[in-house]
This record gives sequence, structure tokens and C-alpha cells, in this order.
Amino acid sequence: MSGINYTMIPLFVALPLTVSFLIMLLGNRVRWISDMLCTVVALALCLLSFYAVGVASGSGPLVYRMGGWLPPAGICLVLDSLSVFMLVIVNVITLIVTIYAINYMEQYTAKSKFYALFLLMLAGMNGVIVTGDMFNLFVFLEIGSIASYGLVAFGTEEEELEASFKYMIMGSIAGLFILLGIGLLYSYTSTLNMADMALVVSEKSGSKLIGFVSVLFLVGFGLKGALFPFHWWLPDAHPSAPAPISAMLSGLLIKALGVYALIRVFFSVLGATAFLPVAMVLGTMSMVIGVFLAVGQWDFKRLLAYHSISQVGYIMLGIGLGTPLGILGGLFHLFNHSMFKSLLFLNSGAVDYATGSRNLKELGGLRERMPVSASTSMVASMSIAGLPPFNGFWSKLIIIIACVDAGHPVYAAWAVVASIMTLASFMKVQKYVFFGELKEKFNAIKEVPFAMQFSMVFLAAICFLGGLLLVPAVSGDFLQSAADTVANGTEYAKMVFQSLQ
Amino acid sequence: MNELIAQSNMLLTDLSAQPMVLLIAVPLFAGIVCRFLPSKGGAVAAVIAFLTGIYAFLIAWPLFNAKAAAFSHHNWLALRLDGINGFILLATTVFSLLILIYSFGFMKGKDRQNHYYAYILWTLGASCGALLASEFILLLVFWGILGVTLYLLTGISGPEAAGAAKKAAIVIGGSDSILILGIALLWVIRHTTRMQGAPVEFGGPLSYIAFFCLATAAFAKAGAMPFHSWVPDCGEKAPASVAAFLPASLDKLLGIYFLYRTTTLFTMNSGVTTALAVIGAGTIIFAVMMALVQHDLKRLLSYHAVSQVGYMVLGISTGTPLGIAGSLFHMLNHAMYKSCLFLCAGAIEHRTGTSDLDKLGGLAKAMPVTLFSCIIASMAISGIPPLNGFASKWMIYQGIIESGRSGGVLWVVWLTAAMVGSALTLASFVKLLHASFFRQPSPEVAAAKPREVGPGMWLPMGFLALLCVAFGLRYLSPLSRFIFPAVNAPVSFTGKWFVGPATVMIAGALFGGLLLYLLGTVKKPRVCRTYIGGEYLDEVYISGSEKSTARDVEVTGVDFYQTIRDMTPFKQIYTMAQWKLFDLYEVGTHVSFFISKIFQFFHTGVLRQYISWYVIGMIILLWLMK
Repeated sequence: MSGINYTMIPLFVALPLTVSFLIMLLGNRVRWISDMLCTVVALALCLLSFYAVGVASGSGPLVYRMGGWLPPAGICLVLDSLSVFMLVIVNVITLIVTIYAINYMEQYTAKSKFYALFLLMLAGMNGVIVTGDMFNLFVFLEIGSIASYGLVAFGTEEEELEASFKYMIMGSIAGLFILLGIGLLYSYTSTLNMADMALVVSEKSGSKLIGFVSVLFLVGFGLKGALFPFHWWLPDAHPSAPAPISAMLSGLLIKALGVYALIRVFFSVLGATAFLPVAMVLGTMSMVIGVFLAVGQWDFKRLLAYHSISQVGYIMLGIGLGTPLGILGGLFHLFNHSMFKSLLFLNSGAVDYATGSRNLKELGGLRERMPVSASTSMVASMSIAGLPPFNGFWSKLIIIIACVDAGHPVYAAWAVVASIMTLASFMKVQKYVFFGELKEKFNAIKEVPFAMQFSMVFLAAICFLGGLLLVPAVSGDFLQSAADTVANGTEYAKMVFQSLQ
Repeated sequence: MNELIAQSNMLLTDLSAQPMVLLIAVPLFAGIVCRFLPSKGGAVAAVIAFLTGIYAFLIAWPLFNAKAAAFSHHNWLALRLDGINGFILLATTVFSLLILIYSFGFMKGKDRQNHYYAYILWTLGASCGALLASEFILLLVFWGILGVTLYLLTGISGPEAAGAAKKAAIVIGGSDSILILGIALLWVIRHTTRMQGAPVEFGGPLSYIAFFCLATAAFAKAGAMPFHSWVPDCGEKAPASVAAFLPASLDKLLGIYFLYRTTTLFTMNSGVTTALAVIGAGTIIFAVMMALVQHDLKRLLSYHAVSQVGYMVLGISTGTPLGIAGSLFHMLNHAMYKSCLFLCAGAIEHRTGTSDLDKLGGLAKAMPVTLFSCIIASMAISGIPPLNGFASKWMIYQGIIESGRSGGVLWVVWLTAAMVGSALTLASFVKLLHASFFRQPSPEVAAAKPREVGPGMWLPMGFLALLCVAFGLRYLSPLSRFIFPAVNAPVSFTGKWFVGPATVMIAGALFGGLLLYLLGTVKKPRVCRTYIGGEYLDEVYISGSEKSTARDVEVTGVDFYQTIRDMTPFKQIYTMAQWKLFDLYEVGTHVSFFISKIFQFFHTGVLRQYISWYVIGMIILLWLMK
């Protein structure tokens, strides 16, 4: 039994990577094959991630030794509760987005190239999540990023290319900083294995180098995670991508490459003490500045993109509190944000698909013609705005209470301000897109095809039921144990070495 | 997994034996059923909703009689019935039932009926939940759901209501966020989220902030200033039945209930009560002044719905048992007459197609039941004895006077504000009654050939009007049944009010007036053609090429406030109100767009600048983490 469990881990990377290249080879010859392959892979990975929840909760983290070599010399993949938590989020959203893309991407030529890049990005994200090796983290991060540069430019219009170029330049700078940080850490600890590195760092204490490396990582992963003041690329890049990709970028990529990597590196490897106050301050600034930028936008997708910055701020604020409640709230918000933000981007895609417009001022009254898109976007808006009974309410509630509980009522007040502004800007979206007068020229529009509707309804159902994750019987093995993993910090190293024996 | 299923099974059996849980869960569930009915199933939805309404009433009645009940599960699902929420619960179900009956006629033939009934039922379930919750987090959930249903119900009347729905959602939803903060702060102070327990002494800024955060939620829900601005928009644009249901009755019940609940959690001091009194008195005067100048029937009523909240807040701020009892009684009375008024407005709109006072007129003969209900309710809201509005206002006045005994002179100001507000209320209702019922009918109204609405619609109106009379004449019996148990101290009247002799005297005076009128003029009226400036009216042309009618030369009641409007302090205030300076929502919108502009200024899209900012950010971090 345990044999199967261990070999499952590399599949999260190997499967999408292989199929990605397979699609590149075959996709142009047989039209339907890329649709089918991608859906099958996404479904398989989704089921596998659910299976992983059950497996990982049993014992400590599962460690897979690449080529049978023992760490720290060999490279290993580690599956602990936090990784499983992230894997479920990533692979569920990927499956839903894939189903959505089957219809949506018909608008573009070269659909098979899209799927190839899409799976490459998935491989990168899964890799970042399961890797137990610092350098591999960087490699997977770059795989994911490079695929996303391509996907942002997928429409190859002027605007998209420009956005992709900016994203690429800034992303590369961030990548260099991360690489520099890893290099310095390697010279300091003489190991690249995360668990080993954590042990060495905790033994040798009080070096200035760790502070410098922390800044490099903050700057690097902070950019990937669109944390203020490293968010500049996001408002251009996310709206430019095709809607399914926007959903992936906002819902997953910034979290897997940014937030998850930050948590992993700071909590599990470096020890979080210096990181916490910075995360709180930057998180709060992202939260507030992002939402104020969003409220003035008239482009549907750009508005959503700014909200991603704001919502990442919430996540960082919660995690930056460092208390068990705060971390729980932050991770829960990460889960919820993935769900509702992906849904919102899919909604914007549906609107774009049906009307060809993303300009809020041009739209209006679409609920008459697109009831499914309208009601699912209503659910998503309520979720992101933090209205009960939807999932966003619960995580915001926990974060605010955790802030006050930890003795930071001022941060809580900022979270409230941002929450009100979030509500305001999504009420604006609802008013201008779905309520209001139906424009003459949109009289003939139709609801989007079934697959797209299915994806949106599915995500809306998750948004509606997401609060159940707080019920102890449901969350014990999933959310709660992920939060415990984060809170345990550098216990990670011990756990990994224990399960190696 | 099996364990989980077994657990939830047990939970379900546990819960379904609880009438309090059923009262919440059944309407919510019935709402879901209605929501997913096909859009043609409006009639089915109406029947389901009606049956659910009756069911809720049948549960609420024994609950109210039981006086006390408590239930808790896993510590967080805690419900509790006591003297305070019992009668409000009963009132909630009664109002829901009346609105559902009214909606049969009112919603007939309109779009999205299944949605409408679903939202009404969700509102009912969530209101019961919010009332019964004895755990703050639970309250918060239901409170938030009420915001959502308010948004959905307001938006149901079509594109023109989109703005009003948005505004209501932002104000109410925003206050929910503030409520979360208040609850969190209170938790840190009290280490419990139970809504009962020893009151907190004020001390340190956190306790004050916590109190005002909670009060903000109550104010926003009830529509007290400065969080009132969603009420007029919502009342004007939402369907009349929704306006009668939410801003007029349920939101008041819930808001004032929560305000009262909050005050029981704190040991009030004079600073806080003065702040409440300022809000109360300010709300009364400002909103009634705004009501005076309105030209839309429903908007005028909405401003009164704001103004009346002022009385309730003022009553609570007195801190005396009499004042608080008066306030709670006023809350109940207000829900009756204001619902009645909105239902009348709905009936008028239903038959004439407009709620613009300038376009109405002459409905007295056509709609006698509406007229009757409207007059009763108007007199009740203006505080004319012996109707219920007077009884509760009288108690609030006495409460204010009694609070003055402990020193201070400010109570004179509050009392004056309350009395002036009452007079101005009467003035604006004279305008309303005249403009819609008594003046000459406008061409539009004449063309619409108005007639009385069906019994489904006039029954709730008439019932509420009779209730206003009954609660006024026999005010002691509702007081002792509903209100006194809610106030944890013996209530004693300082002033005396003998309803019997007074009624006889008032009736006598009215009869005498009528007699004089009949004797003096009706006997031998001189009938002639209407003339103006020596010429017969139907021969002169006043407006354009149309022949003038009696309506054109009539002294209208609609514009009589113009003199007030042009007086010096008021003129400036009205101008400021026109700029929406008093509307927190509008001001907030401008401020946030301004801030947004500042931030957007830095997002130029130029890569070089972005990289510079990036590096600057890094340098700051390096400096901070050195």
C-alpha cells in the first residue's frame, strides 16, 4: 500500500509534463485529442489530489526519493498537509477551468498550443508545491512562470504582447533574486534540501545573511504573489490573458508560486519571526491599495485583477499574524479566494464570450439573457465581498477576529475598510453588468454553452458550501492540518527526516 | 465518512424537534424550493410562501406564549427566546403573513415572482434567526443574509432599481463588516460571544469602539442617521410591498431590537446616552425636513421611516424604563402604520401607475378603503390621540422628562426636537393626503380610471389601520402583554392620559366641527362656474394651448413648504442636502474615487517606472530588515 502512495507524488508533475509534450506532438494532427487528453489529465490529477488528502492525513509527510537517492544528497518530493491542501485547490480549479476552456478557447486558433502551455503551467505549480528541494523549487517556479508568459500573450494582440513582455521582464528579475537567494543560502548551509537546510539554519543562528536572503525571497516571491509594492505587472497581465487563464493566474498561480512559496520558505525553512510583521504590513497595504484601485476601474477583468492584489493582502495579513487562528483564516481565505476569483474570471469570460465587451459602461441588464452567468456571478460577488452564508464571509470573519485577538485592532479596522470597498466595487459590477437596462445591441445574445455553464455552477456551489470547511469533522484532515503544518514551522525538517527512516 | 453521516443524522433529528430551529429552517428551505421553481410557477410559489407564512405564525404564537426557551448545540448554535425577542418574533411573522397576502394581488402578472417569494421567505427565516440567536456569530450570519435578501428584493423591480439596490447593499453590507469588528472587540473584552451576561463597564477606547460598532449595525439596519440614506432610495424604487416589508417594518424591528440588546450588554454612561440622543433627535428633525420637500409618495414615506427611528433611538437613550418601553412600543406601532402607509402607496401605484404626488389627486372617491387606512395611519404617525402613535410618543416624551430629573438641561432640546418633529410630520401628511386623495384629479389619473384594489390588497391595509386604532385605544393591554416583559424594570407612568374621556372629547370636537360646517356652508352653497380674474376658467389658456382646468388654479398642498425652503438657515441646509453632503454613501463614493485616482496616477504602465518602484520597495525592505 505504501508503495503506491509514494509513487503517486511524482505523478503530479510527470503527468501534466508528459501530456503537455504529447499534445504538442499530436494536437495539430487530430483536432479533438488535445481537448480529451487535457480533460483526462485534469480529472486524473483532481482525483489523485483527493486521494492524497486521505493518505497524507494518516501519517506524517510522505517523502519520495528521486532515483532512490537518500536526501540530503538526493532530490526528494514531499507531500505534507500543506502541500495536499494546495494540491487540492490547484487541481480542482484546473479541472473546472479545463472544462470551461473546451468551449471558450474555440474563439482562438491553435487550441492545442494553449493546452500544451496550460499543462506546462500546471506541472510547474504542482512541482513547486510538492518539491522538497530549494533549487527544484526555483526550476518549477520558472516552468510555471514561463508557461504563463506565453499564455498571457496568447491572444497576440498588441496589448497582450505588451502585458506579457512587462510581466516577463519583471518576473525574470524576481526569478533572479530568488536564484540569488537560493545560491547564498546554499553557500551558507551547503545543502539544497529544504529539510536539511532548515536544520542547518536553526543550528547556525544570528547571521546577517539570513536577513538579506529573506528580503530577496520576499521581493522575489512577493512579485510572483503580487504583493504590494511588487504587484505592478498583475493589473496588465491578468486581464490580457484568455479568461480561463486569467482564472488560473489569479486563482492559482499567484498563490502557488507566490504565497505558498513564501509560506514554505519562511515558515518551514527559515523560521518565520522576521517575516511576520513584514507580511502583515505588506498584506494590509496590498489589501487597502488594491481595493481602492479596483473600485475606480471600468474594465471588468482589470477590476478583478486589482482585487486579486487586495485579496492576497488578506491572506498575507492572516498568515502574518502567526497565531493558529490567523494562519487558519489566511489559508482558508486562500482556498476561498481561489474558488470565487476563478469563478469571477470565468463570469467575465462568459460576458466577454456572449457580448464581446468587458467595459462595464457598455454592458447592462445581462441577467435577462444570461441567468446562469448572472446568478453565479452574484454568488461569487457575495463571496468575495464577505457576505454570509458564502465562503468568503467565514474566512474574513476569522481573519478579523484573529487580528483583534492577537492585539492588532488597527489591522482589523483596515480589513473592515477593505471589505466595505470590496463590497462596493462588486455591487458596481453587478449593477453595471447584470442589473440595469439591457442595451439594444445585446438583445440577441444567448447564454454561454453548457460546459461553461457547468464550470460556473460548480464553482458557485463550492462558494456556497465552502463554509462547511470550518466544521471540524470536515476540516480536520484538510484545512486544520494544513494550518497546523504552517504553525509548526520548522518542525517540518524533523517530520521529513522521521518519515525517511 | 460514515461517522460524519451518522453525526449529521443525529444533528438533524436533534434540530428538527426544536420549534425555534424549525421557525428558521422551514422558511429558508421553502425559499430555496421557490427559487428553483420554473419562472412560470409564480402562483405555486405564492401558495408555498403563504402556507409557510401561516406555518411560521403557528409556531411563533406558542413560542411567544411560552415566554422563555433556550436551545444550544455544540455551543455555537445557540438560540434563546426571552421577553425581548418574543413579541418581535410574533410581529415578524404577522407582518410577513400580511405582506404575503398583499403580494397575491400586488405581484400578479409581474416578472420573477418565484424569486420574489423566495427572497421574502429567506427574509422571514433569517429575521427569525437574527432575533432568536443568542450567539453573536450566529446573529452575524443571519444579519448578513438579511442584507443579501434586501439587495435582491430591492433589485427585483427592474433596471431603475439597480442603483437603489446597490446603495442598500453597500450601506447594510458595510455595516455588517463593522459589526464583525465590534463583535471581535467585544469578544476580546468579554471572552464570550454570548449575547447575554453581565454588562460591560465602559473604560478604555476599545469598549467605546465596540459599542459604536455594534450600534452602527443597528443604525444602518433601522435607518438612523448618518446611515439612513439607503432607506429613501430603497423605499422609492423597490416594489411597495418590499418597502412595507423591509425598511418600514422588519428592518426597524430588527435594528431597534439589536440596539436595545446592545445597550443591555453595556453599563450605559451619560456620554454614550448623549451621543445616542443626538443621533435620535438629529434623525427626527433632519429626516422630517427632508420628507416635507419630497414629491414622490414613496420617497416621502421613506423619509418618515427614517424620522421615526429617531424617536425610538431617543427613547432608548433616555435610559429610563418608561422611555425604553415607549421606544419599543413605538417600534411596534411604527411597523404597523408605516407598513400600512406603504401598502396604501402600493395600492395607489397599482391603480394609477405613478407615485409622483404632482400627478396624483382625486382618489378619495375611487379608493375609499385606501383612503380610510391612509388617514388612520397618517394620523397615527403624526401622533394624534387616541391612536397608537400618540400612546408611544407620549411615553417617550415622559421618558425624556424623567431622564431630565437626574440633572442637565439637554433634555429640553431632545423634547423640543421630538415635539417639533411631530408637528412637521403632521404637516407633511396633510400634504400627502391632500395631494393624493383630495385635490382635483390629474389628467393621467383620470385616464387611468382608478378603482379600489381587490380584497387581497385592502384587507392587510384595513387590518393594519384597525390595529393602529386598537393599539391606541387599548394601549395598556399590548403594553403589558408585549412591551413590559421586555423591559427588565417596573414601568410607571408619570403623566396621566385617560384615553376614554379624551377620545370622547376629541370625537365631540370633530362632530362639532362637522356640524358647524354643515350648518354654515353646505346648506346653501352657491354654485357657479370657476372664474379667474373676471374670466371663466375654461375660457382662458394657462399652460400652452391646453385649456386650463380647476387643477391649474387650485392652491396645491404639494408646494406649501416653499416658504420654509426659502428661509435662511433652511435654504442653505436644503442646498447642502441637494449636493448630498449628508449622505455618507455619496460622500464615501467621492472620497474613494479620489483615493483611487491618486493610486492610479502611479500605475502608468511604463515598465521603467514599475521596475524603479520595485527596486525602491526592495531597498525599503532591506533597510527595515537589516
